[in-house]
Amino acid sequence: MEKKFERNTFGKRLTTMLKVDFRRMFTMRFLYIMVAVCLVIPILILVMTTMMEGTVSVNPQTGVETVAESFDNAWQLIGTVSSGASEPADPASATAEASVDMLSMCNLNMLYFAVAVLVCVFVADDFRSGYAKNLFTVRAAKTDYVISKTLVCFVGGALMILAFFGGTMLGGAIAGLPFAMEGFDVGNLVMCMLSKLLVVLVFVPIYLTMSVIGKQKLWLSMVLSFMTGMLLFMMIPMLTPLDATIMNVLLCLIGSGLISVGLGAVSNQILKKTSLV
Amino acid sequence: MNAVEIRNLSKNFGAKQALKGLNMTVPQGAIYGFIGENGSGKSTTEKIICGLIHESGGSVKLFGRPHTDGDLRAKVGVLIESPGCYPNYSVWNNMKLQAANLGIKNADAEIVKTLKMVRMEGAAGNKYKNCSLGMKQRVGIAMALLGNPTLLVLDEPINGLDADGMRIMREVLVDLAQNHGVTVVVSSHVLSELEKVATHYGIVRGGKMLCEMTAEELEASCRTYTALQTREMSRTKMLLGCKYSRVEEDEAGYIRVYDMVPAEEIVTYLYEHGILVSEIKTDKIGLEEYYIDLMKEGR
Repeated sequence: MEKKFERNTFGKRLTTMLKVDFRRMFTMRFLYIMVAVCLVIPILILVMTTMMEGTVSVNPQTGVETVAESFDNAWQLIGTVSSGASEPADPASATAEASVDMLSMCNLNMLYFAVAVLVCVFVADDFRSGYAKNLFTVRAAKTDYVISKTLVCFVGGALMILAFFGGTMLGGAIAGLPFAMEGFDVGNLVMCMLSKLLVVLVFVPIYLTMSVIGKQKLWLSMVLSFMTGMLLFMMIPMLTPLDATIMNVLLCLIGSGLISVGLGAVSNQILKKTSLV
Repeated sequence: MNAVEIRNLSKNFGAKQALKGLNMTVPQGAIYGFIGENGSGKSTTEKIICGLIHESGGSVKLFGRPHTDGDLRAKVGVLIESPGCYPNYSVWNNMKLQAANLGIKNADAEIVKTLKMVRMEGAAGNKYKNCSLGMKQRVGIAMALLGNPTLLVLDEPINGLDADGMRIMREVLVDLAQNHGVTVVVSSHVLSELEKVATHYGIVRGGKMLCEMTAEELEASCRTYTALQTREMSRTKMLLGCKYSRVEEDEAGYIRVYDMVPAEEIVTYLYEHGILVSEIKTDKIGLEEYYIDLMKEGR
């Protein structure tokens, strides 16, 4: 006599998977630590650089004097205006601006590496605890897992970005920095933030793929994630300038969609073809 | 239809061949004792059944369907190696996660029921990492039982369990198989415990199935022996050794004669040689001895 088994639709499977993953994400202490760090870091950066501004330090070996600089504007911590919008008239100053200084690197874009840590820890926990073993025994379809993890990690990453944005506002206010919008307006800033949030959806599938390769080896997932993340890192300022328009948002939306689907399929195949324990 | 039907299963880990054309048949409703030495391929077979690793060759069918069938897999309960719980979550929350994965509607009632089955209802609020080894094992069993599985795959489920825990485990397995028609595949090195519940056996060695049999067949193939004690054990052993083909001294201090001879004949023979038998009994070898014999023969 043939046994009858209840049919589980894709929608039902995905809903239960999302419930579990959201529950896990929001009961994970590490998420709150990361969000808190993202909130505090911009405050510390803005307040400390403002306090240190103008301080002269001398290298005792070379005798070279360095004057500490600070941010001119709180929004500098969110990103930069695209080069076209702020093209300087003077070629000499253009050369000076082109040179990479520490402050221009020290902004929200660095957070995409912190998102890697969150994704890697979240996924590696599944494999280290043996939860993945229980899960994949009762669920043959790996697609649910990949989609659910991508969406949940996106929400986690987005929270970190928003916390950083909040921290920047707070830090700017505490440090007394101007919030003047030169070369962009509130609409651009909203588009910039939307683009930045969508870029999380570009990085999450990359980190997820690296995490399913590394499985319980957290260190391997992290190393692979940082290495691959680095390849795309330089594109972020171009994709998400402070003077972003709807085109930037659309571009990020299409990019994130394509990468999520493409790398999602890769992650799915990795899970299907490799050992899960 | 069989619950598990494996044909010509092979699995390679690099150059190492863990399974070499293994065949296995588990009838529905059976408690299948899966026995073998360490590294013989038991866990690998169980992991393949559960879809955790992929076979290199051969076929695995569960209830007549490919083992990769998603709807079927929701009805497989598993405890392999460790229970697979988040250490910082409570027992209850770990159960809740698995219940959600299984899409159980009335999750709370189901969790209470399964925790009661393994006598863990009082420890539901405990953090998993604070549970003892035996408690963790019980949680693992409870998780495997969630969602009324049709097939249970348990790898060394009595590891770390105390005497009471083992008794509960036996009762649960027998109840599931007899009253709910659940098929259980259970591997264990504690053969004396397995013997009390298993209805079928599969003995695996070097990645191949050495033999499969029912409990009745095992009973029939287990040799009968006569065990006796005298005051002159070494002389008795020597004398019996001259007359019968297989005579051994066991750990309990009895001399065993495995030849099919009446006890009276042995007593008379020894009496004729001036030896009085102080104790004599006939018995059958258990699963453990049968297994050890089988392994020795294989070598």
